[in-house]
Amino acid sequence: MNTVDDLVTLVRDELGLAVTTSDAARSLDELPGWDSVYLLWLLTVVEKKTGRPVSLPDLLEAGSLEDVYSLVAA
Amino acid sequence: MDFFTAYREGQLAGAYHRVPALLADLAPAELARAGRLLAQLDVNDDEATVIRVAITGHGTLSPLVPSLTAEVARHGLRLRPTVGDFGGYLTELSDPDSAIYRAGAELTLCVLDAEAIFAEVPVPWRPADVRAALDEKLSILDKLASIFEANSKGTLVLNTLPLPHRFTAQLVDHRSRAELGALWREANARLLRFGEQHPGVLVIDLEPLLAEGIPVEDPRLAVYAKMHLSAELLARYAREIGHLARGAAGRTKKCLVLDLDGTVWGGILGEDGHDGIEVAEGHHGEAFRAFQRVVKQIGSQGVLLAVVSKNDLEPVRRALTENPAMTLGENDFVRIIANWQPKHDNLRQLAADLNLGVDAFAFVDDSTLECGLVRDQLPGVAVLPVTGDPALHVGTLLADGWFDVRELTVEDRARVDKYREELSRKDFLDSFDSIEQYLAELGVRVRFAPATEAELPRVSQLTLRTNQFNLTTRRLQLPEVRELAGDPAWHVLAIRSGDRFGENGLVGVVFARRGGNSLHLDNFVLSCRVFSRGIERACLSALLHHARENGITEVFGSYRPTAKNGKVADFYPRYGFTALPEPGEFRHDLGEIVAVPPHVELDFGGALQ
Repeated sequence: MNTVDDLVTLVRDELGLAVTTSDAARSLDELPGWDSVYLLWLLTVVEKKTGRPVSLPDLLEAGSLEDVYSLVAA
Repeated sequence: MDFFTAYREGQLAGAYHRVPALLADLAPAELARAGRLLAQLDVNDDEATVIRVAITGHGTLSPLVPSLTAEVARHGLRLRPTVGDFGGYLTELSDPDSAIYRAGAELTLCVLDAEAIFAEVPVPWRPADVRAALDEKLSILDKLASIFEANSKGTLVLNTLPLPHRFTAQLVDHRSRAELGALWREANARLLRFGEQHPGVLVIDLEPLLAEGIPVEDPRLAVYAKMHLSAELLARYAREIGHLARGAAGRTKKCLVLDLDGTVWGGILGEDGHDGIEVAEGHHGEAFRAFQRVVKQIGSQGVLLAVVSKNDLEPVRRALTENPAMTLGENDFVRIIANWQPKHDNLRQLAADLNLGVDAFAFVDDSTLECGLVRDQLPGVAVLPVTGDPALHVGTLLADGWFDVRELTVEDRARVDKYREELSRKDFLDSFDSIEQYLAELGVRVRFAPATEAELPRVSQLTLRTNQFNLTTRRLQLPEVRELAGDPAWHVLAIRSGDRFGENGLVGVVFARRGGNSLHLDNFVLSCRVFSRGIERACLSALLHHARENGITEVFGSYRPTAKNGKVADFYPRYGFTALPEPGEFRHDLGEIVAVPPHVELDFGGALQ
């Protein structure tokens, strides 16, 4: 996972949400079909992909896919 | 092509029937992912049977929906979920007007975890505090179960509460720890017995699922997201619910069909001989014996066992009768087909002989080629490939609860004999020139009478299992049957039959509702075992005559087409009903009524007085 595009692709392929890179900065609540529990799912998938733990409390605070990416890439 | 490619390329919309095969081999994590995608697929209601599931409980249960979506899709069903509010199970199950009740679901899940108890225990705590919390919770659940039964026709599914190590380990002395373990299990045992008092309740025992090596919880998700059961455990639980859904939709498998060489025994019969195959001793022999014991156990509970094997018949017979180390014997099987025809042709023939659809079959074979052929030619058959180590055969056979039912009836235990008698009837039929002559000699006896309390489980089972002669395919769980039987406006009439070969048992049911001078036949169900003997005509004739004698002036009947019941589409018109403008609705003016066939000896005392 090297760019925010990779994360967007992951969300699109795995969740079936119609998001593009231009949606990355938008508030998660504004993403079509977004559900807050998807963050729980993202934790599992992203940790498996990167092999590194992500802070769940921080992830639950994330406001956009960009925020999520910066947590994951940190 | 795999599921995800098919989904991405848009090939699944309009082709839901392909989904079960595509999901068959997915790993649990991929299944949940597939479930998330499936939930967004646009599927017409006529393309797949919808199963409504309401979900309530304690804690965050969100992973349950994608897992359930995929698990019911594995059985060709489509999930329509209703999810309650977070932690809202107490109010939702006690309020008959809540969304959970309004969903009118076939299955209502109330998913509970240990935190539901420990949240109510003070700190510091002793085992006695936990006992008090458990007692209180069980008494509330008992009340909720009663409210549920009074207000819902569906099934309430509870689960035993797993006890995570982080609770037992908080007690530093082993004596208290043992006490906690004991009282916790006593509470779970009481939960498991709920079904005895509450026919509308089922309890899923999570312990055997956890014994497969699934973590109870993920500590971070438990603390931060209030998800007290791990996604893996919820997915495993969802698989069990999928089996219940399959049963509720009338798709329980009825017949287990086995290959022989490499499946039931080790070695090759044609080369090793009937006494040289591995069936009991030695490492491989032990594995095959274990598998045979499980097959015999399943067969004892009403599942028909059959053989379809590429072999010559005589050596197969000898192996099953003369090898003293064999657990399964010739008499365990309702039919043994050993020849060199393609297996799918044999399966079709077997289905015809047993008067079942091929989709009532689960087929076990150790050959990848045979499994692939059957899957390709007969997509309705559940194909269970036992292609690896024979020690794993048992797990493959049992993984999907193919034969799970709500409860066994007397008929289940005697089913194999019934089918065997049926095959004798077929041989008997072959000795006659005409069907009339055959029927005259068969000596068909029919008893048609209001169903007794003891017969209601079998009546429910008939509505759930019968697909072909089921005029409206209205599936009724036991509580619904009981409600209709207790309603003075309704008549639940059971059909029993027998003949010179023996008793068939309870083989059919008519649901009728009286309103003023008219009678509505809501459904007519007859087991496929007893088709073509005039039984349905005899019962209909008797009922129509009886209605006329009791001041009824018109009788209405309904037919709702399904993929399976086409052969009874003309049932009502055939017996003098005229079609009404609404499709599937018929009316009989009680002018000219068809007679009871002369070869049937009918005992009908009436029901409408």
